[in-house]
Amino acid sequence: MPVPIIMPKFGFTLESCQIVQWLVREGDRVRSGDPLCEVTTDKVNMEVEATEDGVVHQILYQAGDIVPVTEVICYLLREGEVAEAAPASAPNATPLARRIAESNHLDLAAVQGSGRDGKIMRRDVEQALKVRATPAARRLAAEHGIDLAQVPGTGPAGRVQGTDVRAVIAERAAQAAPEPPVAPARPLGKRDTQDMAPPSFPAPTDRHVVRLEGMRRTIAQRLQKSFQTAPHIFLEATADMSAIEGLRKTLKARHEKLSVTAVLIKACAWALLKHPALNATLENDEISYWHTANIGMAVALPDGLIVPVIHNAEKLSLQSIQQEVDRLADLARQGKLTLDQVSGGTFTISNMGMFGVDRFTAIINPPQVAILAVGRIVQQFVPDAEGKPVLRPMLNLMLSADHRVVDGAHAAHFLRDLRLVLETPSLLAW
Amino acid sequence: MPELRELTYAEALREGLRQLMEEDERVFLIGEDIGVYGGAFGVTAGLIEQFGAERVIDTPISEAGIAGACIGAALTGMRPIGEIQFMDFVTLSMEQLVLQAAKVRFMFGGKASVPMVLRMPGGSGTGAAAQHSESLENWFVHVPGLKVVMPSTPYDAKGLLRASVQDNNPVIFVEHKLLYKTKGHVPEEPYIVPLSQSKVVREGAHLTVVATSIMVNRALQAAEELAKEGIELEVIDPRTLKPLDDAPIIESVKKTGRALVVHEAVEMGGFGGEIVARIAASEAFDYLEAPIRRLAGLDIPIPYNRELEYHAVPQVESIVREARKLVKGEY
Repeated sequence: MPVPIIMPKFGFTLESCQIVQWLVREGDRVRSGDPLCEVTTDKVNMEVEATEDGVVHQILYQAGDIVPVTEVICYLLREGEVAEAAPASAPNATPLARRIAESNHLDLAAVQGSGRDGKIMRRDVEQALKVRATPAARRLAAEHGIDLAQVPGTGPAGRVQGTDVRAVIAERAAQAAPEPPVAPARPLGKRDTQDMAPPSFPAPTDRHVVRLEGMRRTIAQRLQKSFQTAPHIFLEATADMSAIEGLRKTLKARHEKLSVTAVLIKACAWALLKHPALNATLENDEISYWHTANIGMAVALPDGLIVPVIHNAEKLSLQSIQQEVDRLADLARQGKLTLDQVSGGTFTISNMGMFGVDRFTAIINPPQVAILAVGRIVQQFVPDAEGKPVLRPMLNLMLSADHRVVDGAHAAHFLRDLRLVLETPSLLAW
Repeated sequence: MPELRELTYAEALREGLRQLMEEDERVFLIGEDIGVYGGAFGVTAGLIEQFGAERVIDTPISEAGIAGACIGAALTGMRPIGEIQFMDFVTLSMEQLVLQAAKVRFMFGGKASVPMVLRMPGGSGTGAAAQHSESLENWFVHVPGLKVVMPSTPYDAKGLLRASVQDNNPVIFVEHKLLYKTKGHVPEEPYIVPLSQSKVVREGAHLTVVATSIMVNRALQAAEELAKEGIELEVIDPRTLKPLDDAPIIESVKKTGRALVVHEAVEMGGFGGEIVARIAASEAFDYLEAPIRRLAGLDIPIPYNRELEYHAVPQVESIVREARKLVKGEY
């Protein structure tokens, strides 16, 4: 392959340079570092240098031309390379146009260039990638999750019509249709032939269809991958929340809020530092054991969920955690979380107690290796030291752990300590 | 079964006028040559004999005066029906209609109203040249406070006339010279065709054609032609341009996925643009299989030369051609 020489980007804001003069001609032999041409920005003159040894093959711009940065200005043939291999026959396109075309599997030969000398520009590729389709076709494609680019168009200039999309829908339905049931071994009456009519699907008006995209698509992909690749183990424990409830009551009397979620974040952070096996992530065959507890909390949104992260929860006071929880949940509901606020998590808590759920299991949020599913606090009779029933606020804790990284005993010890700290919150001060 | 009674469009209007005048003394007619002469197109023939010159008032050539007299009479409780001999000359009445008739009710906070009807024949096809052939209905559509009615059949003409006279707003009632002699079923007893009710006059699956006035007839003829090729047009007549009932149009386009709007008035700035915009902005957009097209008058004064006059506005052949292209996917 000939070596492309591009117009360098001499400064951050530089968009194009003018070629002042060429210092070489096609066929000249150059060595790496030799100046090829002189160019000028609006401030200074510079030289473009050969990046390798070779023979100047194709000079694409002349003196006086203003060339966008990163544009190829000439090619060098390497030693022994013959001119036929030059991309003269290849479509003349900007690197950006070429890259977009490649990533979309678009043959540049089919694209009409609108740049100088027919050079294919980004706009040409984007134009070529646009699918011409009627509004009806677009609606049908969206309703049925069909990629319009894959539908052969029969309209003017290949425009995709609604009928074209319907044909694809019918084709798919035919492929997906189950094998017909074995016919009964008796003569067919009128009723039977009616029964054998093609299955009637509910009319599209009986439902509404939403494409799997955006947040929903991300959720779908992550959870499917997690549940399929991470062998989940589930461990369950119940914690007596009397002490915590007492603390919450005291704070409430002082008009201060302490949520179960904030308590759990602090308690988990405390327990995680003692059991690093659960404060880990698994990526590319590497297990990272984290030295800080960055705890994600699942926040339900009308159209999905998001998991903002409380960073360094082990260092924060309960009060700071509470403030952070409230702030992040607000931002989440307003859709204003930044990337930093949703990444870097080492462990996740999903609390559905406020929805009245007693207990549930959660799917691990990859690349993390464990997640805690928390139900609601339930008043239950439990035996006291003498075996007499006493009413206690009990909380169900369900830990899911990735068994590839977390052994059962690790998980059990973590859960034991989590329960301990919840029942004896003064340990948090330890 | 007795045969249905048929009247021409002009006869239907005359019967409608007579019945309204017989019932209600407040109704009177005013216009040029509408008395002894019976009107330029004979619509009022014989009415002066029945009702006298007090209620069938001939005026000088004074369109602003006709409109102004109607407004004044309407304000004082009468139900005037004015006639502009050719729609072209309503241009002389514009100040009265636009600044007075349309505004009074609003500027007096609803304490006064102008229940008048101004009839006028528009359209080309009679060799009457540029000053007697215009289709200016969209001028009035653009004025808040006016209603605009445009019947295409004898039946609708009589029924819409009654609805217009009974309406408490000024109504511009646009007739068509070539329609006066067309025949259709018209019941003798008085009846109302309500304003603001578009009508599907022919059902079809492949293309929605929205047409006004004489273009409804031409669209129906085109539909007959195309039916032989298996192309089924759905033809809709808005009948009242303002306030417009667009729901049947939008429903229809959702069904057919294609729309063609046909009117005689010049395409540029014409009523068709309004229909197209309503469709494009509606839920029917998602059902479109082709661009929405218009077929309307060329942007020229109507020529005197009969051949040129013919080609200046949509005809059956051009509707057939355009409809076929739309259905066959050439757009």
